[in-house]
Amino acid sequence: MNSETLNTLDTYTKNKYKYGFVTDIDNEKPKKGLNEDTIKFISLKKNEPEWMLEWRLKAFSKWKKMKEPKWANLNFPEINYQDIYYYSAPKGFEKKPKDLSEVDPKLIETYNKLGIPLEEQKVLAGVAVDVVFDSVSVATTYKGELEKLGIIFCSIGEAIQKHPDLIKKYLGSVIPAGDHSFSALNSAVFTDGSFVYIPEGVKCPMELSTYFRINAENTGQFERTLIIADKGSYVSYLEGCTAPKRDDNQLHAANVELIALENAEIKYSTVQNWYPGDENGKGGIYNFVTKRGLCAGKNSKISWTQVETGSAITWKYPSCILKGENSIGEFYSVAITNNFQQADTGTKMTHIGKNTKSKIISKGISLGKSQNTYRGEVSFLRKADKARNYTQCDSLLVGNKCGAHTVPYIDSKNNTAVIEHEASTSKINEDQLYYCRQRGLSHEEAVSLIVNGFCKQVLQELPMEFAVEAQKLVSISLEGSVG
Amino acid sequence: MNIQDNYLKNKKNIFFSENEDIQNHREKLINIFENDRFDKKNNESIKNINLKNFIDFKYKYLIPEETSVINNNQDNNYSIVSVNGQCSNFKDDKIEITKILDEDYNDFSKNDTIENNDHFVNLNSLFLNSGFKIVIKKNNNIKIKISNIITDDDLTIFQKNNYICEEGSSLNLIEEYENKNNSTSNILNVIKLEKNSQLNHFLIQDNSPNHNLIITSHSSCKKDSTYTQKVYNFSEGYVRNFHYSELIEANSEADLQGIFFLKDNNTSNNKTFVKHLAEDCKSNQIYKGILNDRSKATYFSNTHVDQVAQRTEGYQLSKGILLSDNASYFSKPELKIYADDVKCSHGSTIGPIDENAIFYLRSRGMSKIAATKILISSFINEELSSIDNQQMSEIIQKKLVRYLSKVK
Repeated sequence: MNSETLNTLDTYTKNKYKYGFVTDIDNEKPKKGLNEDTIKFISLKKNEPEWMLEWRLKAFSKWKKMKEPKWANLNFPEINYQDIYYYSAPKGFEKKPKDLSEVDPKLIETYNKLGIPLEEQKVLAGVAVDVVFDSVSVATTYKGELEKLGIIFCSIGEAIQKHPDLIKKYLGSVIPAGDHSFSALNSAVFTDGSFVYIPEGVKCPMELSTYFRINAENTGQFERTLIIADKGSYVSYLEGCTAPKRDDNQLHAANVELIALENAEIKYSTVQNWYPGDENGKGGIYNFVTKRGLCAGKNSKISWTQVETGSAITWKYPSCILKGENSIGEFYSVAITNNFQQADTGTKMTHIGKNTKSKIISKGISLGKSQNTYRGEVSFLRKADKARNYTQCDSLLVGNKCGAHTVPYIDSKNNTAVIEHEASTSKINEDQLYYCRQRGLSHEEAVSLIVNGFCKQVLQELPMEFAVEAQKLVSISLEGSVG
Repeated sequence: MNIQDNYLKNKKNIFFSENEDIQNHREKLINIFENDRFDKKNNESIKNINLKNFIDFKYKYLIPEETSVINNNQDNNYSIVSVNGQCSNFKDDKIEITKILDEDYNDFSKNDTIENNDHFVNLNSLFLNSGFKIVIKKNNNIKIKISNIITDDDLTIFQKNNYICEEGSSLNLIEEYENKNNSTSNILNVIKLEKNSQLNHFLIQDNSPNHNLIITSHSSCKKDSTYTQKVYNFSEGYVRNFHYSELIEANSEADLQGIFFLKDNNTSNNKTFVKHLAEDCKSNQIYKGILNDRSKATYFSNTHVDQVAQRTEGYQLSKGILLSDNASYFSKPELKIYADDVKCSHGSTIGPIDENAIFYLRSRGMSKIAATKILISSFINEELSSIDNQQMSEIIQKKLVRYLSKVK
């Protein structure tokens, strides 16, 4: 490797986290630690009905008996669950502001720094944004327009109050509380998140979007998102995250459940850019996310797209249960790890119904001293006649101190199902670099161009609004190279 | 009976039970058994295994009455008959065959490529009752054929073999496992290839339904050496093929290939693992399987590339054909890469026979069964046509015809 490449690598690895800042807002917290009182406190604060509290306590009793799943290729110190605040809401937010002028100006400023001014988005992008600042929804825009169509888009707390029937029917139906220890933990202490219900035959006219942001130190954020697409409906949902710079590790365990009924389609896109820790591997978010979609009805479709560039630890497997006949599951992922980041991400496609199809495209890029693992399971159950899967996972290594791993599990119990899997691992091609340099690009620009080309198959799956941000993020992750 | 009692009761029949180091090592192994929760989901060595039979077995071993035969037909051809895993001593200027020694045992127990929760390997070390060591001397080019014979029913053979190819030597090794009685063989082959040596290893497995064969191999390759292994599994009984290769010096190569043909209720577990520990090495892992009736198979493949192993080329391919509704196939092709200048890939497919291809052949006047058979033959043709030994190629063709005759 020539010295120039080494210099470029140096700039990549020393790349500072751009969004590292903290907004000073007085936080109201219960005591540290996790016990029944904490859960009762959360439930009380959120004015929850009795049945919800019981549901939480049941999950908590399950969690107490469970151990963290150990199979991931991750290395991190044991999490002390008693040293975390489980609820933190900016003061004065029990009564929600009616419009943006009532929102704390400091909060608005935070979003401005992130380049997502609510006002501007409201007017220009036509995106309804449900912003979660720590644990309470700050403002929900464009509600009126959605209401006209019968679409429910609100915080999960509000949905518990206003739509208890839907919550009772669907919450925990895709990810049971006892699924594994992180899902049980989330079920016990979740504070906020989004709830979306698209009624029969409605195509949601705009991209629904939420920006999550962890703010207070030592506060694990536990969102719960539930999206239900009724027969023949369509929705595209965006989730994006950035978090301020912190030295203490922050725990994050979200649960996302999607349910697509007959002929419905859900598209779920994520850009995750939480604080990854500094160049010595200190700090950063621990991100343990359970995302699962159920294609319950015939001809339904669920598509996951994710761009993962942040977090010290990423543990995330957006999966699809393909139950309805002819249902389709898709998973597109770009995961970039730098410095001491560790990512173990992938998907799980469970084919139950006839003629179900799934497609997995995963691109992993490792830089610095990071470890990047793709872990995916594709299984065809006995009745999945004529089911079809195609999987492609490619890894790119930049530098000789990082690692790229691929761990697919492939299980077929049906003799008419067809499954294909391919993977490759390599470094950036010297010839391609040379070609780009020859045409007048700097070394950094050339690397960025090649990496962007490598990810293109996934990035083009993102909705327009997000594609730009995602490309920016890819570039920032390789910073020093592109402007 | 638990493992410890079983061991203590049969101690007098077991190799090296007087040696203190080995005794200590075995105590550790017993501990592993006692503390393991036998997690079928995460422990690759016990997937699809009936745990009860595997822990609660009846130990029985007979020292063979007639000594095994070694024939030196022609100059460089040797044919060996190993009886109950034992082989008599032999020595000439090209090869040397001896019993396995306690230093070989100790030498191997220090290697950590095979996971310490691989229970079958642990059982092999605990209950070791047979085995031999073959050394191929410098710069010789020879062929060996080994027939493995088990004399009685219900025997439990725990065998450790050592193969050492000295510098510049070349060995063509054919092993046959064709047993009709209901015994269990648990065999561990430890293979060492010195500088510039070569080993072509063929394993033909064709046992009756009640015979269990557990075969594990560990090969290590030094500079410029090449290890090629081809496994043909036609057995009607349970077979486990776990093969590990370590490329410890530059420019060495490991090639692990296998084909299995399963039917009825049969199960087969397969694993290949290549560890690249030096620069400029190459590896290939190719397994193909055909599963009929209610058969089950697993295939784990793993390429591990160490940080120093630059300019590595590592390829994996796994293909499975399911002929029946009730057959199932699980595959897990893993890549673990810590170096950046590498070319590694894996591919994996599972599916039925291509309907369009069947349609094409039927439209040319062929019956459905004939078409299916032709397509199965062509699926594995690449592997069969690469066999350069005429005699062996015929043997395998015959077995394939026998398997195909049962396909409906």
